[in-house]
Amino acid sequence: MTLLELQNISRVFPGTVALKEFSARWEGGKIHALIGRNGAGKSTLVNILTGALPPTSGTILLNDAPLRFRSPADARRAGIAAVYQELSLLPDLDVVENVHLGRLPVRKGALPGRVDWKAAERHTRDLLDRLHVSLPLHTPLRHLSVARQQLVEIVKAMGSAPGILLCDEPTSALSYQEARCVFALLRTLADEGVLVVYITHRLQEIRSFADTVTALRDGISAGTTPSAEATPERMVTMMFGEDVRFTRMVDHSPSSSVVLEVRRMTRKPAFTDVSFSLHAGEVIGIAGLMGSGRTELLRTLAGADTPDAGDLVLHGQPCVPQSPAQMKRLGVVMTPENRKDDGLITLLSTRINISLASLDRLAPHAITSRRRERECVTRMQKELDIALSDPERPVSSLSGGNQQKVVLGKWLATDPHVMLLDEPTRGIDLKAKAQMFQTILRLSRQGIGMIIVSSELEELLLLCHRLLFMQHGRITGSADASSTTLETLLARCMESS
Amino acid sequence: MSHRPHHFVLEIVLVALCIALAWIAPGFFSAENLLNVLRNSSMQGIIALGMTMVIIAGEIDLSVGSAVAFAGCWTAYLTGMLTTTLGWPSTISAPVAIVMAVATGLLLGSLTGFIRMKYQVPSFITTLALMTGLSGAAELITNGFPLTPFPEWYNILGGGYLAGIPVPALVFLCVFLCTSFLMNHTVFGRSVYAVGGNAEAARLSGIPVGRIKTAALAITATLAAVAGVLQSSEIMSGTATTAKGWELDVIAAVIIGGTSLSGGVGSVRGTMVGVMFLGVIINGMTLLNVSEYWQHVVRGVLILAAVLLNRVYAGREKNPGVAA
Repeated sequence: MTLLELQNISRVFPGTVALKEFSARWEGGKIHALIGRNGAGKSTLVNILTGALPPTSGTILLNDAPLRFRSPADARRAGIAAVYQELSLLPDLDVVENVHLGRLPVRKGALPGRVDWKAAERHTRDLLDRLHVSLPLHTPLRHLSVARQQLVEIVKAMGSAPGILLCDEPTSALSYQEARCVFALLRTLADEGVLVVYITHRLQEIRSFADTVTALRDGISAGTTPSAEATPERMVTMMFGEDVRFTRMVDHSPSSSVVLEVRRMTRKPAFTDVSFSLHAGEVIGIAGLMGSGRTELLRTLAGADTPDAGDLVLHGQPCVPQSPAQMKRLGVVMTPENRKDDGLITLLSTRINISLASLDRLAPHAITSRRRERECVTRMQKELDIALSDPERPVSSLSGGNQQKVVLGKWLATDPHVMLLDEPTRGIDLKAKAQMFQTILRLSRQGIGMIIVSSELEELLLLCHRLLFMQHGRITGSADASSTTLETLLARCMESS
Repeated sequence: MSHRPHHFVLEIVLVALCIALAWIAPGFFSAENLLNVLRNSSMQGIIALGMTMVIIAGEIDLSVGSAVAFAGCWTAYLTGMLTTTLGWPSTISAPVAIVMAVATGLLLGSLTGFIRMKYQVPSFITTLALMTGLSGAAELITNGFPLTPFPEWYNILGGGYLAGIPVPALVFLCVFLCTSFLMNHTVFGRSVYAVGGNAEAARLSGIPVGRIKTAALAITATLAAVAGVLQSSEIMSGTATTAKGWELDVIAAVIIGGTSLSGGVGSVRGTMVGVMFLGVIINGMTLLNVSEYWQHVVRGVLILAAVLLNRVYAGREKNPGVAA
């Protein structure tokens, strides 16, 4: 039986210690879940185990023999394979081709390099039969669902018959039903003796399929427990430490006037029949998993996508979101989840990015004015504390935190009534995060209604007045954030269908 | 964005090149020759200014060469038809024909933009189709022979002088001032950069992406038609075989001027320098009796060198695509 032991693994990056004397003992034939907040060191651990990063110190023992990787190829030879959330498949090729990517069998004979398609197909069929997975062999992958593509990804990883499979959040983009077939496959692998290490954000999945749960907290191992004993309370303690009393930051009461009312909004297949209202100065947090429809809901409210049914009431007037330009005029704006793809034009300067959404104010008669734009930049720089050496340099030269502030500043400059913030603290450092919290609260005190989507549930407790629970595209309930603890919030998110 | 340092580099190289040519090429530094360079560059230059907008907006227009030939032939055909069948005097029929030809250009450019917007067909494909189609249409109109219905005064547009300066050069200068203002000082210009830099982020910021791209394509097609009219005036005929391969010369000038084919980066001023640079090089080589074959080789080397220079400077800034 495979036995993987990590002894005092540390990894130091300039300025931070990503992993501090991490130790674990994982047995083959089992599924080991690894949990932790963003930045706790989970990905660093995966990178060390796949040979992508050398540990600064510590030993990895495989069946009591020390392992030392100089490259990912060494790790592969040692029988370690990894599957990531991002698919590494070619959508126009079929299952057989994808499973054999880079190692297609070659026929011996007069023509060297001729692919032996029969052998490839036989091998794929054997693999699928062994793993009890049924997939069409010759359908281009783009015609398969994301869940089935994820299965192909795992089958592909198993093609080299590894003894250890590392899964870095492979189901985070899947619904619970879809994720089940991935879990079934992983269980089959474990029954065959494979050692599965499974990283996840979705705590509710764990008890149903993992054997042990190991938590990482700020780079330190926070213990391992059998999954049967991993109650929400226990997992919160493991991830956040004994003292999980947060000082709630939100201290003002929202006004009684409604700024935005959403009425039976539907956009298939993302979300159905969503209704709620937002008051001036109120901060609402949407507690839902990735894939619950939360991002799509915000996009629709901001006019980025159009709804199939339902409408909004803004300033007492009903309206149906049709375009970002229209919603901007009505005072509803969104900072998107992915700032590089949707939030910024990274080639262009900070000045141009900040003024881009408010050119109608800054450029009277459609003639741009550098002076007005500079004034706008200076105002936002002060308001949001953007560290900016030269507003004419490309916005890509700023740090992640400052880029996020630029996105926020761009929309703040339009004088909105409602701000929709999708993962406003993703990929930014702690200081910028703290500033982002302060900014959100200051703006809401000024009367702006806010809706926040965040994967970090504790952030919602810090910032929000009210929480809306979202599952499978529906609002399943709401709660007053001041009387909700992280344990109950987690338990609430875990009680899934 | 509009003041990238390497544009000054190219300008310095251009000045150095002029000084060197004044030294070694007999007759280069005469007013007559310099005006000649200006005239020879101006028609492609007019189109290059529009092409700069199209490329910054993240699109391309391959049809401009054929559009020049087509506009010339179409003007000639219309002039002839209005004069002979309707009996209009040529002082009226030629101007009417010009307006109609330029309007046709505007229409074709808008069509490309519409197809891009409505059916998501890349402008590369649509304008490739237009390139062949317009070339054929020009042959059909002229029946393979040059049409020469123009009155004598018509030659002023392409071959005449105003205050000692060739008329096409004046048109070129005018278009330069207009496009320069448009790109640097208007919301439209700003939107062109935004749309080419990141279309989705631009859309989410409330910019009408499709309309901006259509406008850039329509302006360029219109300018190609204007160049076609000037060209027909210079040679005093509508000839279907003229302006073959101009699209590549025009795109080369834009790229030498520092505009990025991936969109979002570039400037009208850079294109101006790029156009002059190519014009001077070709003129110098002709004066030095360098064979035409060699001229093509040198031009190829120049395009590559300019793009490499662009890369080196872009790399010295922080690589925008990769930076966190």
